[in-house]
Amino acid sequence: MTMVALAYGFIWLAVFAYIFVVGRRLVRLHGELDELRRRIERGKP
Amino acid sequence: MTGSFWRYTLLIAGKDLRIEGKSREVLYTMGFSAALVVLVFSFALSNATDPAQGPITAAGVLWAATLFTGTVALARVLDRERENEAIRALLLSPAPRAAIYLGKLIAVSLLMIAVEVVLAVIVGGLFSTGVFAHPVWLALVLLLGTLGFASTGVVFSAALLRSRSRDALLGALLFPIVIPVLLAASRATACMFDPLSPDLEPVAFWVRFLAATDVIYISLGLWVFEPVVSGE
Amino acid sequence: MPTTPSSPARNSTRLLVACGVTCLLFLLACLAIAEAPLEKVMGMVQKIFYFHVPCAWLLMLSTLVCAGGSVAYLFRGSERGDRIALSAAELGVLFGMCVLVSGPLWAKAAWGVYWQWEARLTSSLLLWLMLVAYVLARRYGGAAARRLAASLALFAAIDIPLVYFSVRFFRSIHPQTTVVSTLVPGMRGAFWLSLLAFTVLWFVLMSVRLSVENAQARIVELEVLLDQAEENKS
Repeated sequence: MTMVALAYGFIWLAVFAYIFVVGRRLVRLHGELDELRRRIERGKP
Repeated sequence: MTGSFWRYTLLIAGKDLRIEGKSREVLYTMGFSAALVVLVFSFALSNATDPAQGPITAAGVLWAATLFTGTVALARVLDRERENEAIRALLLSPAPRAAIYLGKLIAVSLLMIAVEVVLAVIVGGLFSTGVFAHPVWLALVLLLGTLGFASTGVVFSAALLRSRSRDALLGALLFPIVIPVLLAASRATACMFDPLSPDLEPVAFWVRFLAATDVIYISLGLWVFEPVVSGE
Repeated sequence: MPTTPSSPARNSTRLLVACGVTCLLFLLACLAIAEAPLEKVMGMVQKIFYFHVPCAWLLMLSTLVCAGGSVAYLFRGSERGDRIALSAAELGVLFGMCVLVSGPLWAKAAWGVYWQWEARLTSSLLLWLMLVAYVLARRYGGAAARRLAASLALFAAIDIPLVYFSVRFFRSIHPQTTVVSTLVPGMRGAFWLSLLAFTVLWFVLMSVRLSVENAQARIVELEVLLDQAEENKS
């Protein structure tokens, strides 16, 4: 039972950790994109 | 592949071998490093002089030392093209990319085999093994094993030509790919070295396996070499 | 070719729906796994199978997709192919790690050893190492990293049957591929549901990871536009 819990636990942990890391990166990149779009809009006549 | 294709191939291989003939840089540096690796293994492994296990261990050590130090030959033969933008001149020449790949492959393989022969003698001495009991089979295994390693190595080394992390990355990228070659070559060599082995049927099997692997790797190398170096 | 992302709102909605579907599938799969009968010999520990095998399947899928993307990038200059290859390689590393951890845990309970150098285990380990090497090459390889990594992916894809065949001649303790077709109905349903859930999860993660690459490409384009605009102004 311990092995089953460890195996399932590791897989869940790994997948959620990956989702967290990638998600955080995506949010940061979207922030940068929005900032760049605002700067381009500001620069337009 | 026409006559001029092979002419270019031999020209490029000949150029690298002539340069090496003058400097002998790869032969000495790779040879010395490989000999040291064998020495380290012979100290680290307690069964080195055991008559039963020594010969089998010797085969593994021979190929491990060859692979670890083969990256030296790969790096140096391709490195020469980095100096004075020689690689750009080579790519602008009429030589087909495939001929460049085969030329480099031949040069690297011949240099590695030269070192391996000396290494086999050292391994035989340190591990108390009769390494030249089956010279023809040994020559075939050395040739096919080296071709298998170099066929992938030339592609990766060329791709890493301009990379700062070339030395760190080449081994890391290459070793997982050449594991089947290492496996087959060391198994065949162990069977040859082992005086208690009943026959050489396993050697014949692994030689066939190596030949098939080499055909696959060289075909793949010919296919991907052009797009890989065209980024230079 | 410039990337033109579809509207962010529509993308978020699609992603939310996909996540919802994935969660539902996993809930159903876990219920099915809990309900599935215990295996006669191994008992409870056999239930690791329901997650271990789908992860192995995703490792193979990721490798194939990575190789496909690499071919498109190397021979057709497809930037999208390159982005797909990198995303697939990362997912391959993730699910490969899941296989290589869950497998030995099961092995220890079932066979008494964490590891055996037999065909399937060895080839899985080497495949994982090749995908790790791909990711390292992309991160630290410098200017030529993309072409180098693409060629590595092709050698890796070709290499797997070679490795499997070469190592097959040593003692084999791992269950054969015929295990799945011999499952009893209670186990079969749980297995296929779990496989479906993991496959949908893979597509969701690929979509998210590709969004990251697309966003980065879009940032580069906009920075170039911004530089041009500022140069014109001055």
